[in-house]
Amino acid sequence: MTTATSKRLPSPWGRLRARAHDHRSLTILAGWAIVASVLPVIVMIPPLSTFQPESLWIDGFANAGVFILLAMGLNVVVGLAGLLDLGYAAFFAIGSYAYAFGASPFTNLQIPFWPMLLVGAVVAATLGILLGAPTLRLRGDYLAIVTLGFGEIVPAVFLNASAFTLGTNGIGGIYKPEVFGFQFTLENPVPYYVAMVAILAITMVFLYRLQGSRLGRAWMAIREDELAAASSGINTITTKLLAFALGASTAGLAGVFATSKLTFVGPGQFGFQVSFTVLAMVVLGGMGNIWGVATGAFVIYTIQAVLLKELNQFFAVLHVPILQSIDFVQYQYLLYGVALVAMMLLRPEGLFPSSRRRQELHATSEDVADVPPPTEALGA
Amino acid sequence: MTVDFRRVIRPVAIGTIALLTEYALLGTQQFANALTLGAIYALIALGYTMVYGIVELINFAHGDIFMVGSFLAMWIMTTLLGLSGPVTNLLNLVGLLSIVMFATMVGMGFIGMFIERFAYRPLRHAPRLAPLITAIGVSFILQNIISSLFGPSPVNVPQIVPLDKFAFMGGKIGYLNVFMVVLAVVLMIALQLFVGRTRLGRAMRSTAQDREAAELMGVDINQTIAITFFIAAALAGAGGVIQGLYFGSIKFDLGFFVGLKAFTAAVLGGIGNTTGAAIGGFIIAFVEVYATVLGYTQWSEVAVFTVLILVLVFRPSGLLGQQLGERA
Amino acid sequence: MKYGKLGALGAGALLVFSACSGTTATAAPGTSTAPGGSSAVAAGAWCVGGTVKIGTELPMSGGETANGAPTANGVKLAIKQQNAKGGVAGCKLDINVQDDALNGVHDPQTGAKNMQTLVADAAVMGVVGPFNSGVAKAEIPISNGAGLLMCSPANTNNGVTQPPEGDTYRKTNPTKISYIRTASPDSIQGPSAADYLYKDLGKTSVYIIDDTETFGVGVGDTFQAEFKKLGGNVVKRDSAPKSTTDYTPLFTAAAALNPQGVYLAGTTPTGMGLALKQGRTVSGLETVPFVGPDGVADLGPGGTQGATITIAGAASHDVYGTVGSAHDLADNTFTAAYTTEFGGAPGAYSAAAYACAQIIIASLDKASATATDLASAREGVRANAVNSANSFTTVLGSLNFDKYGDNVHPFISFYKVDMTLAGGKGDWTFVKQESFSDPNAQ
Repeated sequence: MTTATSKRLPSPWGRLRARAHDHRSLTILAGWAIVASVLPVIVMIPPLSTFQPESLWIDGFANAGVFILLAMGLNVVVGLAGLLDLGYAAFFAIGSYAYAFGASPFTNLQIPFWPMLLVGAVVAATLGILLGAPTLRLRGDYLAIVTLGFGEIVPAVFLNASAFTLGTNGIGGIYKPEVFGFQFTLENPVPYYVAMVAILAITMVFLYRLQGSRLGRAWMAIREDELAAASSGINTITTKLLAFALGASTAGLAGVFATSKLTFVGPGQFGFQVSFTVLAMVVLGGMGNIWGVATGAFVIYTIQAVLLKELNQFFAVLHVPILQSIDFVQYQYLLYGVALVAMMLLRPEGLFPSSRRRQELHATSEDVADVPPPTEALGA
Repeated sequence: MTVDFRRVIRPVAIGTIALLTEYALLGTQQFANALTLGAIYALIALGYTMVYGIVELINFAHGDIFMVGSFLAMWIMTTLLGLSGPVTNLLNLVGLLSIVMFATMVGMGFIGMFIERFAYRPLRHAPRLAPLITAIGVSFILQNIISSLFGPSPVNVPQIVPLDKFAFMGGKIGYLNVFMVVLAVVLMIALQLFVGRTRLGRAMRSTAQDREAAELMGVDINQTIAITFFIAAALAGAGGVIQGLYFGSIKFDLGFFVGLKAFTAAVLGGIGNTTGAAIGGFIIAFVEVYATVLGYTQWSEVAVFTVLILVLVFRPSGLLGQQLGERA
Repeated sequence: MKYGKLGALGAGALLVFSACSGTTATAAPGTSTAPGGSSAVAAGAWCVGGTVKIGTELPMSGGETANGAPTANGVKLAIKQQNAKGGVAGCKLDINVQDDALNGVHDPQTGAKNMQTLVADAAVMGVVGPFNSGVAKAEIPISNGAGLLMCSPANTNNGVTQPPEGDTYRKTNPTKISYIRTASPDSIQGPSAADYLYKDLGKTSVYIIDDTETFGVGVGDTFQAEFKKLGGNVVKRDSAPKSTTDYTPLFTAAAALNPQGVYLAGTTPTGMGLALKQGRTVSGLETVPFVGPDGVADLGPGGTQGATITIAGAASHDVYGTVGSAHDLADNTFTAAYTTEFGGAPGAYSAAAYACAQIIIASLDKASATATDLASAREGVRANAVNSANSFTTVLGSLNFDKYGDNVHPFISFYKVDMTLAGGKGDWTFVKQESFSDPNAQ
């Protein structure tokens, strides 16, 4: 806290921020409403509109939304509670297959989409508790390897239990969502987009409330120093299990949505690469900061799914002779790796670190400035 | 030079029990397979555990260092030495093997040091997850460099050690199997001696135990860490040579799964404990082979992780790990 | 807030970068759209912009490059040759290459996104792909709804086209289908290998190993069923994922049961080449016949990078393979033309992709007579290709497709490795060819 604060009236922007801080949930909902309505308009403006038709843009945003949801969920486990989970894709798989079992010709069930969201979240949360239970006594990196193991075990179970899951062939023809008789289709991505924005907004409100609640503070206490947290009366067991459960339930939501859009699920979609991608989104976005993580997810998704694939086209447009003869598609993982390393070297705290993290990493300079010069303290 | 029997007895006991159980359950032929696989896992696990012990980093790129080692060995054998098949003259064979082994280990050592210097050292004081992400980034880079240079398909390695087998107790064991296991054990003993008896080894142990105190005592931390990475990568390189010689075929994405199992082995044995890593390697290989013998090949990975989880539930620090309290 | 501005700037930049995805100049480097001379026929009004495209939807990066890149090359060759003849009805041809590999592995979601991109590109008249049946299951609903033709050179899973599962992918337009495939389905390739091993080679017991992938499990299952039906004995069946580096324990356990033959149900990129090499070293299996489907019988001689014989080396003797297409290639100049253009031998599916491109070109030629714009040309291509009355002359022979999109006259060719060929390194030689009749043919 700086000692000298100049007394001046807060600016309109400052007043707005203060008010937003007080009415957080409304701000979030309003924020998402604004983002959701602005994005489709931006891509209608040239030159963006000439590169891809609007429907493809919106389809891409809906797909990115799945990863934003995943990143927000993993943020609870890794960012808030400090539990290094390297097998997060397992919960994504659970949600996906739950929807496939609930709404496909394979099981002849047709449970509607919206209840299935809840079912998927609950099933995933249950598994989160089950998988979290053996890890309670483990220290940080042991926890990591065990969660990594679960991340491999769950898809392997779906692959090998082919009598129940059709194994490697996957389950196809999954039914698409329906709202009051209005059927979602694959040709029109707008209903999916709107649904995803709604899910994201509600989830974010929920997560912010959690973060500010006693449970959220208990998570942060465990993250910083588990022994001290336990000593101050926090039940570390239930707190950790709740972290796993809530993180998993978000992944379950994402899984249900993603499967309803792809209409197909197979065990090969949930490997370590997916877990790692979501972890990278959390770290690069700024662990602990929910909006930061969401933005980081959007950025990395765009890089991975769009930018890297279109490198050849991009460089063809630039018309640089040397670059045109290189087939960038072959080198996309090299570039991705280089980008990851570079981002970590340049900004290890992530793009939008939480204010606490920023204080941690830049504390030294501020602390020195804040200490009053000795002459004052000695009481002249 | 006295040997502290109490400290030695536990690992020896665990190791012997493990080996005997393996032999009883597998039979000679599969036992030989498991030992050979275990030698490779053990060599890689040692590197994981050494690096983790000293900088507390799960070096996900380590498996890919093993893979690069195998390609380096292949390149040395084919391009530099012009070999293409078994070498029958024993003296020649020994000489060539020594050259290949030495060159690969030294080469990989320098590559390991290079990666530490430029990718991990700047992040030594960064949040714990940052070097983890970087490690995976390095993994992508290594894989892609190799696949660009040598193609995405499996590449043949000249198997210069003849694959002749001799009969032993009901099964057939190859001279190469014996050589591999002996080499792995020799390297492990050499490592133990180095870490336990030399000044550099003492520096490594003290840095692993308490970095600040070591620094105060005059240990050059940067150099010590660099040497640790050198040795870890050299061992992985040795594993790569063995992989190529025995299987005769290597691929650019070889590193990830082998590395994962080796890392499981290191954790199983107690991460930070080199003897544990070696034992863990053989145990993991045994679990894999045994799963195959029982007919559950596609579940072998699941089996490996299940074993790990069970062990960790009952001994949260691994088989030979110290029972530390919660580190602040 | 500095970070806020930085973030906004970054996000904006990324939006711009990602925008550069649908540029009209979509030729990947290395593709040559031939400098064809002046077209003899003026392009009709349907050829808006003077160029139409054939799309490819294949895994092009990471571990699956060996699958997708040579296949795409087959399409590129067809386009180049057609442009040299003046294009299609005076309209130039171009290619739109899409990659469905994410992190090196084929990914159904990426495939679905690519299919949407191809649908949105009005100049795309037809798509060659995908490679993997799982990806196809995610893509067919999209192309079916949009009416864009897909021709797969490699999908073999029965459920992709055949009812009841196949119907769930065609729900939007069940009678106006838009998916055809040139590859023989698993229901034909697996049993034909079983027949060959039992009847022609006279072996009555077999060990089957598959690679846990859709194709491998599919042919493995159908092989197993047929072999048992003939009266043979399947001593053991194993599944080894492609991450397996050591197959020796598996073969050791199997050798103890004395199989007279081994069926490698999978492909070489997913480990069957290595399995062959290591399996031969196990005592008891040194001389038994190893049989594989067309993912193993890639017809590449020893010495070609990535070929089965190259990987297995000296272990390639007594190896047999089935290939899901006719041997008597209608056009024998394909292999030479491919090697001249790209260097190296064609991939296992290059000819099939070339055939798909030929089908699209022929359908487009026919449609151009009555088309008025790009949309009607696209619909014309689809209608012509799936019409079972239309027969197409391709490098794979004469092809036409039934009401589900399957090849009406699937062929299986049998090959054997002869180690004396290719300068002692070994090569595949043709043994015989069989044709089957499609039960669903109209």
